[in-house]
Amino acid sequence: MSHETWQEQLRRGSLDLAILLTVSTGPRYGLAIIQHLEAFTDLVVTEGTIYPILGRLTREGLLEAEWVEGEAPHARKYYKLTRSGAKRLTTMKAEWRAFADKISRLMDAAEESRHATH
Amino acid sequence: MQLTDTGESRVNGYLFVLERSLKSFLPPEVVRDAVREIESHLRERIASADGAPNEREVVERILAELGPPLRVAQAYSAERTIDEAVATGRFVAIVRAVGHLAATTVMGFLAGLGFLIGYLTSFCFFAIAVLKPIFPNNVGVQFIHGFPVSLSAHFPVGNADLRGGYWIIPFALFCGLGIFVGTHHGARRYLSWWRERRLS
Repeated sequence: MSHETWQEQLRRGSLDLAILLTVSTGPRYGLAIIQHLEAFTDLVVTEGTIYPILGRLTREGLLEAEWVEGEAPHARKYYKLTRSGAKRLTTMKAEWRAFADKISRLMDAAEESRHATH
Repeated sequence: MQLTDTGESRVNGYLFVLERSLKSFLPPEVVRDAVREIESHLRERIASADGAPNEREVVERILAELGPPLRVAQAYSAERTIDEAVATGRFVAIVRAVGHLAATTVMGFLAGLGFLIGYLTSFCFFAIAVLKPIFPNNVGVQFIHGFPVSLSAHFPVGNADLRGGYWIIPFALFCGLGIFVGTHHGARRYLSWWRERRLS
């Protein structure tokens, strides 16, 4: 696997979690979600590919979408977390933390044994 | 930023290509919603670019950040068609998803070709079963030099040596159904595998 493929897989794997976290604080429309992700992460490579993911998360029942008119010169589609989305987010956060801890421990152990051999 | 006619045509051109690309894979109501959402994104971005001196540069940058319309359409199709096909198992959804993969990847094309042959073969058997009671003398097992070579329908019969009675109907139905179910099951498993691979 090339480094680029690995990075792409890492990005894809964490994008769902990042989107759910972004809307967990309150409803946001597509561009606001993208801007939030861009402010905190490097996960958005092509902005247009975020919308299909939002659509999938909505179909899976994790997000709820609603068009809001009159707030801006054009309508905005707002996304908010559903109850099932909130449950999934709690699970995903716990799993992510556990996963990250294990990898960190593995990296620390590798570092320590490298120092010990030198 | 207020767009000039040139800027407006560039944005509308982008949305037109996106809509055309989405239409080949997605239901009309999904296409309308997707295009509306992307247009909302573009208008928002353009509005926030107030004070920028060069309109053309701004529009091109915004469109580049959004991604080429075909790429955006592919992302929609990949997220939508495969998920729908795996979840529902409906014939139209499966065919649409297989067609999408066939149009976008080499492996998808080869797999799609295999599934197309499978589906067409099953439909041929179904056609034989339907035609036999209507044209009993034109449908049967064709013999050449005393050997059975095919189950076929001939219009007109000509010199073809066609044999076989009405037992051909249940036989053709059985074969057609078997091939159809096998192909359909294979296509669904293939799409399921593809989806897992995409998510991993």
